[in-house]
Amino acid sequence: MQAFKSKYRLSIAFVAATCFASVSWAGTVTVESCGMDVTVRAPASAIVTLDQASTETMLGLGGAPRMAGTAYLKTQVAPQYKEAWESVPLLTKGRPTAEIVRVVEPDLLVAYSGFFYSDQWVGSREELKELGVGTYISAVSCPLADQPDLNSFDLLARDFENLGRLSGQEAEAQKVIAAQNDAIEAASKLRLTRDEPIKVLWLYSVFEGTPYVAGGPSIPGAISNIAGVENVFGDVNEQWPGVSWEAIADREPDIIVLGDLSERGSPGDTVEEKIAMLTTEPGVSFLDAVTKEQFISVPGIEMDPSIRSVNTLNLFVKGLKRLGYAE
Amino acid sequence: MLDPAADLASSIPAEIARLPRGLGGVALTLLGVGAVLLSMVLAVQIGVAEVQFSDLLRIVATRLGIDVEPLGRMRESLIWDLRVPRILAAALVGAALAICGAVLQAMTGNALADPYLLGISGGASTGAVFVVILGFGGGTLLSTGAFIGAMVVLAILLLLLRKGGGTPLKLVLTGVIIGQFFSAVTSLVVMAAGDAEATRGITYWLLGSLATARWTPVLLLSILTIGGGLVVWAHAHVLDAMSFGSDTAQTMGVNVSRSRLILLVVCALMTAVAVAMVGAIGFVGLIIPHAARLISGPLHVTLIPFSALLGAILLIWTDALARTILAPQEIPVGVFTALIGVPLFLLLLRRRGDL
Repeated sequence: MQAFKSKYRLSIAFVAATCFASVSWAGTVTVESCGMDVTVRAPASAIVTLDQASTETMLGLGGAPRMAGTAYLKTQVAPQYKEAWESVPLLTKGRPTAEIVRVVEPDLLVAYSGFFYSDQWVGSREELKELGVGTYISAVSCPLADQPDLNSFDLLARDFENLGRLSGQEAEAQKVIAAQNDAIEAASKLRLTRDEPIKVLWLYSVFEGTPYVAGGPSIPGAISNIAGVENVFGDVNEQWPGVSWEAIADREPDIIVLGDLSERGSPGDTVEEKIAMLTTEPGVSFLDAVTKEQFISVPGIEMDPSIRSVNTLNLFVKGLKRLGYAE
Repeated sequence: MLDPAADLASSIPAEIARLPRGLGGVALTLLGVGAVLLSMVLAVQIGVAEVQFSDLLRIVATRLGIDVEPLGRMRESLIWDLRVPRILAAALVGAALAICGAVLQAMTGNALADPYLLGISGGASTGAVFVVILGFGGGTLLSTGAFIGAMVVLAILLLLLRKGGGTPLKLVLTGVIIGQFFSAVTSLVVMAAGDAEATRGITYWLLGSLATARWTPVLLLSILTIGGGLVVWAHAHVLDAMSFGSDTAQTMGVNVSRSRLILLVVCALMTAVAVAMVGAIGFVGLIIPHAARLISGPLHVTLIPFSALLGAILLIWTDALARTILAPQEIPVGVFTALIGVPLFLLLLRRRGDL
């Protein structure tokens, strides 16, 4: 009877405690990510990043000591993160699967897009939540319908803030956000040498004859807005739509930004190959941008939303100045 | 064309044929079942994460309430939520596809028939891409979409075949045409609406992968496979008669059109659930009935259960291979069933004297 009574008391105490758990108490952090509340026991100590953008962002926030694994590498990690990256186990160079992720017993998963959280990849968000694993999706993948004026950089800043809170790296996150804001401010003060809109084509890759370009809701789209130029496919509401050479010729870009994917090594990935394609493709070879070689080259990986995207902004501004479109 | 007489002559080794039939059959069946169970127990331990048989026993004991030290939550989830359903799914899908392969081969009188002849996989892939690419997300919704797509194909098939039943030629043609149509729709949706990564995700499913197996669909599949398998087994004599041609079957007193309808619907359901869960895994339905025929003989009363057992064993082991050969990466199992299936098929053709 005595034992029963004390067990009963213990249960009541437990129930009371869990009632308080829904309110943020010193011990958990909750952020909202793409429609789901992500809660971890603060700070997260076994973070697994499922793709390169998430990996580099987490490393850039100084989260390496709290990371349990990384996955899905497309290119070499940026040199400034190399050492930190090597201190974290690489789970797989290819796509992460449900088993691989569970082996390291993570408490937080970070991915740039929601499709990572499906049965085909690491498992659904609900399934992982039941196991006590938080699933974070980059804010860039789910722009809020009620705040359409937030561009990709604003959403990235939100990511940095959220991830900083989840991993206990708030100070680092603030530094990263400040650096990004400085770069944006400098770029927005750019003086363009032309009154008519300068049209820019952002070419990521050509796959099986289809050119993939940057649409409106993308980092290049945001960069175009900041610099005051026009992204020729900014009206397409997709991050990387596949278009046609005719459509490109039709829109007559003044400048072509080429994504350098030489590390991926697929045919047509290097800048040289892309230039060769442009000069031989009948639809576009006559364009001024091609004949006058108005090209700007940026690392392809930095055109995707990540902590490195601000480099693209800086490279673009430098390119504009070099080509004489800005001073 | 299937040649039951020649199969009978060439398949059963003389010594076994001389044994009292009952004993040989029972012994082989027990051996088969034992092989399947052994395969499951061994395969559960193979994979990226190290799993011991003792871990599995501990999980079962914990769930039964027996007092053992429980495994860590994540580890338990890895084994119980991922590995075990995956092994069971491999066995069930292998069995389902093999049974339906045997049925289709008998119904169409064509040695090259497989369950996807009905166009089910085409419809399922269309349903799946609609769900994934048009943005309803992956997860269980993909399977639901695939199943609905498969059912649409079945409905169309039944509609087109309502006059004159399903004569073998009509069945083959209708199934192939519908399948091609839906495959084209799938390609269209993928090209037009897919972004690079979603397309990649659906490609893995289209190639067939057991990574998506979870308990709920596995339980559904088990009911359908066991139930459907029993229905098919009950029609064993009908299938034997059909192998001789539908005219001959009719003269033997078989209600051909009604049996065809039942078998068609049962197989379509089994294939639909299997494909919805794991995608279109090829070659199992094609090869296994022929391989099983070599052991069990051409009569369907033994061919059906043996196809099921062999199909289960094949898929359990090819899946184990697919998830370890390039570890930590997982190759879709459909790739391996083709890589293994083709040489096996050539061997079989040689054995039958066709090569």
